[in-house]
Amino acid sequence: MLKKNFYDLNLSKTLTKNRLIGLLRMMKGYHWLYIGSTTALAIATISRTGVYLVLRRFVDDVIIAGNFGSNLTNIILMFIGLALIQGGFSFISGWLASKTAESATRRLRNYLFDHLQRLPYAYHAEAKTGDLIARSTSDVDAINRFYGEQAIGIGRILLMFIVNFIALLQLNTRLALYSVIAIPVIIAVSIFFFKRVSKAYEAYQEQEATLSNRLQENLTGVRVVKAFARQGYESYKFDQENWQKFRLGKKLLSLHSLFWPVSDIICGAQMLTSFFLGAVMALNGTITIGTYIAFVSLVIWIIWPMRGLGRLIVQTSTGMVSYHRISEILKQDRESLTEGEYHPEGDLDGEIIFHHVRFQYEENNPVLKDVNFTCQPGDVIALLGSTGSGKTSLVNLLPRFYDATDGQITLDGVDIKKYTRKYLRSQIGIVEQEPFLFSRSIKENITYGVHREVAVEEIIQAAKFAAIHDVIKDFPKGYDTLVGERGVTLSGGQKQRVAIARALLKNPRILILDDSTSSVDTETEAQIRSALEHLMQNRTTFIIAHRIQSVMDADLILVFDKGEIVQKGTHEALMKQSGMYREIFDIQTRIEVELEKEISSVDLS
Amino acid sequence: MSTYHSLEEKDYGKLTSQVSKRLLALLKPHWKWVVGFLLCIAIVSIVDSYTTFLSSRIIDEGIIAGSRDAIVKIVSTYGAMILLQAVSVFGFIYLVGVLSERVRYDLRKHMFNHLQQLSLSYFSQTPVGWIMSRLTSDTERLSDLMTWGILDVTWAIINIATAAVFMFIINANLAMIVILMLPVLIVIAIRFRTRILYHYRRSRKMNSKITGAYNEGITGVRVIKALSREDDNLEEFSELTDGMYEASFKAAWLSALFLPTVQIISAVGLSIVLWRAGMQVQIGNMTIGGIQAFVSYITFIMWPIQDMARVYAQMQNAVASAERIFNLIDTEPDVKNRSRTLDTDNIQGDIRFENVHFHYEKDDPVIQGLNFHVKHGEMVALVGPTGGGKTTIVNLLCRFYEPTQGTIYFNNIDYRDMKLQDIQSRIGVVLQTPHLFSGSIKDNIRYGKLNASDKDIEDAAKLAGAHEFILKLEKGYEQDVGEGGNLLSVGQKQLISIARAILANPELFIMDEATSSVDTLTEALIQRGMEKLMEDRTSFVIAHRLSTIKRADRIIVIEEGQIEEMGTHRELILKQGKYFNLYTQQFRHELETQYDMFNKPEATELV
Repeated sequence: MLKKNFYDLNLSKTLTKNRLIGLLRMMKGYHWLYIGSTTALAIATISRTGVYLVLRRFVDDVIIAGNFGSNLTNIILMFIGLALIQGGFSFISGWLASKTAESATRRLRNYLFDHLQRLPYAYHAEAKTGDLIARSTSDVDAINRFYGEQAIGIGRILLMFIVNFIALLQLNTRLALYSVIAIPVIIAVSIFFFKRVSKAYEAYQEQEATLSNRLQENLTGVRVVKAFARQGYESYKFDQENWQKFRLGKKLLSLHSLFWPVSDIICGAQMLTSFFLGAVMALNGTITIGTYIAFVSLVIWIIWPMRGLGRLIVQTSTGMVSYHRISEILKQDRESLTEGEYHPEGDLDGEIIFHHVRFQYEENNPVLKDVNFTCQPGDVIALLGSTGSGKTSLVNLLPRFYDATDGQITLDGVDIKKYTRKYLRSQIGIVEQEPFLFSRSIKENITYGVHREVAVEEIIQAAKFAAIHDVIKDFPKGYDTLVGERGVTLSGGQKQRVAIARALLKNPRILILDDSTSSVDTETEAQIRSALEHLMQNRTTFIIAHRIQSVMDADLILVFDKGEIVQKGTHEALMKQSGMYREIFDIQTRIEVELEKEISSVDLS
Repeated sequence: MSTYHSLEEKDYGKLTSQVSKRLLALLKPHWKWVVGFLLCIAIVSIVDSYTTFLSSRIIDEGIIAGSRDAIVKIVSTYGAMILLQAVSVFGFIYLVGVLSERVRYDLRKHMFNHLQQLSLSYFSQTPVGWIMSRLTSDTERLSDLMTWGILDVTWAIINIATAAVFMFIINANLAMIVILMLPVLIVIAIRFRTRILYHYRRSRKMNSKITGAYNEGITGVRVIKALSREDDNLEEFSELTDGMYEASFKAAWLSALFLPTVQIISAVGLSIVLWRAGMQVQIGNMTIGGIQAFVSYITFIMWPIQDMARVYAQMQNAVASAERIFNLIDTEPDVKNRSRTLDTDNIQGDIRFENVHFHYEKDDPVIQGLNFHVKHGEMVALVGPTGGGKTTIVNLLCRFYEPTQGTIYFNNIDYRDMKLQDIQSRIGVVLQTPHLFSGSIKDNIRYGKLNASDKDIEDAAKLAGAHEFILKLEKGYEQDVGEGGNLLSVGQKQLISIARAILANPELFIMDEATSSVDTLTEALIQRGMEKLMEDRTSFVIAHRLSTIKRADRIIVIEEGQIEEMGTHRELILKQGKYFNLYTQQFRHELETQYDMFNKPEATELV
């Protein structure tokens, strides 16, 4: 079905307990690029070290030996050659590393997005949107930094150390050993320090969030602020948080202003010791002047980068935490859209039987108990009952947003669990009370559910049937108007009609309607009603009803109370019984009588 | 309305002398800090170049001259330099860092205080997100430029200059070669940096689109599943990640190309220097230590250059940020006190609308020629369809806006002759969607009168009918209401906002009734609270509930910005016109809700 493979690896299968290994497994397929990058880095590092070794020869063999001429030219050419190799390979290394990081991140983003939309509805009902988004964005960014900056950065520093240290050992073993004494100290100090910094930084960031919230509250509550003339008080409140942020920033800065000079002194002391020892050895003739010069440069390249190592090591821990947070999403099982042995040709008829259906979200707390009913293709089934009586849970079972805990639901005589979810959902249309529209054009929203090119005429036709065409037409950009665009706001009723047009185009066999039109005026209500009637033609329809008028014509009315069907039948049949249904109905007549009374009382007074 | 659009997408701004003056004015109050950090960074920069020079002296005066004493002396000086530098590093990080935080603090404070003065029209035309970015990312960008940016450039310039001086001291001839190389390096570095920043910003924009896609994919998951959109969505999403990949990969490999390019150019320069140095040694113009110093200077010259280029690239963005910030600060409030205002100690008395017109946008009148006279203590109900102009009348009454034509009189005084503060501090408003601030219930009620005692607050809550439900909460009055009050139900929020208004003891009371249904008990409490507030006060209510409407001394039916009908309930019912229709419709609706069999008694219980 997919035109392209958007991720070539099942990332859920790469998960492991060890976060570092997990991170490495997550970039499977790009390992060679990464190894290539490291190799290029090693070559570049060796070339730079080579430059100093050439410099040594330049001093010893050319200048001190007084051997100018062809030797000089050779050495200059070697210089340029090494510089080119070093530059070229560091570019190649950076190029490969960022390719790895960006490719692995892109795959992770695609996978995560797809994974989220294929997780069962039950998962989403529980999860917090903000949290999922944070994990999908900032945590993915953290992993990107792990691959692109931290891992490769640590590699760079270690390689630099290894290569330069080996070179130092070649020059003079004793000197080399003296030159790395302080390195463990530097690493320890920088790890110690950056752990504190990251804590201070977190506090600073949290305060940033607090400050933003305060600002946002002030902006959204501007009418209240003005109505109570509380501008001064608001400024005072804001200033408190603002000052707190300043204070935390100062604290963070104080840490930095201590670390850098301290590490400067440690590194400087180490460097100076090496200089001194080297100079004395050169003075005594133990090493040549060229060796001394090369040695001095190499020592600089060994010591100073080490300060960054602690920072990178501390930062990798954020990458690992992010890995863990993402893996918590990835380890959830998807619901299969294609699993199922029954593949009917064409459309369903729409005969539905609920057979002893029981459903619960949590153990021992059933929201549906022993639900039994049968409906014929094209029937209208009305569900009546208070909030929480089980109406919504029942319709959630039809597209298999949830599966029944017990009992069986059959569609055209086949258990719905045998259908693929994809087929099942293609046969069901849902129109909710406050439907979700996407921030794209109205046209795209109407065609959202159809997987084919749709002619403009067809869209307009659907919009007309849904009694929304006239509204859309009056927008400056018509059908191309973006939902949520400034200046264009769709009311609840209008959104509902866009959803009706969407359902009309989809043309499902089974329809689920939430019939609640309380927030619209009479005229709109009539329009929605006629739109719905049009939509319901020839489809098996479930109506979650909030008022009696919309159930009177139903073929089957199910009255719910606490997860059970307490009454069942047509309007006529139910009217003959005493019970909830007739009580509700009686109220309607009573209302008209009372209205009459109310009006006439005005006349009399 | 156009002001924010015209500045929205702009990434680059030009540093005009006017903008620079205003930018420097930001630092003026803290000039001692500026002098301090400039001094520290100058020392750091000079010491940097000097120590390189010193280390070449070790070779020439120490090793080659064969003097152990000289080595000891130079190394000691070097050590002293390291200590001096450490102190200066401490100084500049602390000074510039704290200053940067301080400039941010100042900017935010200034903008926030200014925002408090702006009129409602500004907020209805400017998205909250736009304003938020001014106080967050723009503020950061601007303060970074004015502190760290200045620091980096100062360091870079002094570093290059002192290095040049030492190079000239060592060998003027060779130094010239390096000087000639500089412009090339700078131009290349700036071009790189600008490109990198461009792609980086592109990838940030892509990133916010990706966040948007996640947001929709998660909040709309039910619809997506119901419509089996998974495959199409993934395909669309992958276009975003492709775009993101392209932009960030480009930014990343350009960065990877940048340093090697600079390094190769300096290496070529170094080779020329070494080649010429070789010759100069022959004629005694160059020492080995000198060669070593040149190698170091040239190798490390890429850092100041890269810093300068980075600041230069960021400057353009920061200036664009500055323009947006100044634009906000320069916005004048539409509604403000006139130059001469009357002192009023009350706004009690009659309220009169005389031929009041209003429009938000030209050619689109919202209120057209309103005339009415409300006596002191009267209760007025405003009814009519949505968008008819009821809310606008309330906005005009509160003087959130002023009439574009005509006059509103409080006690026979044009209200524009009064002070805004005098009017608004005497009006109590309860909005349709009550806005609470995060904090405790007590804090929220106290918002009505900041110096109220706990007892005052409790009394107000009792009058509002909120006391009972508050006591049932776990922490009572100390209970946190959550962000925007979202831990409470709509009905509870409304009760608290009524208590808040009662505490303020306003002279004029305005209420926009909620349309959303709350349970019967809360409803009754709200009604009672409103009654308390309306006692002996002039009040305007945008009414939806029959009980409210019927209680009104006068009902005004507003449609399309005009008064359609006006009179008492009885008069208007008998008229059998618009009001009659509205009334009967609402009557049915209310009874349906009231008699709703589905809402069992337990559902009406509070808390």
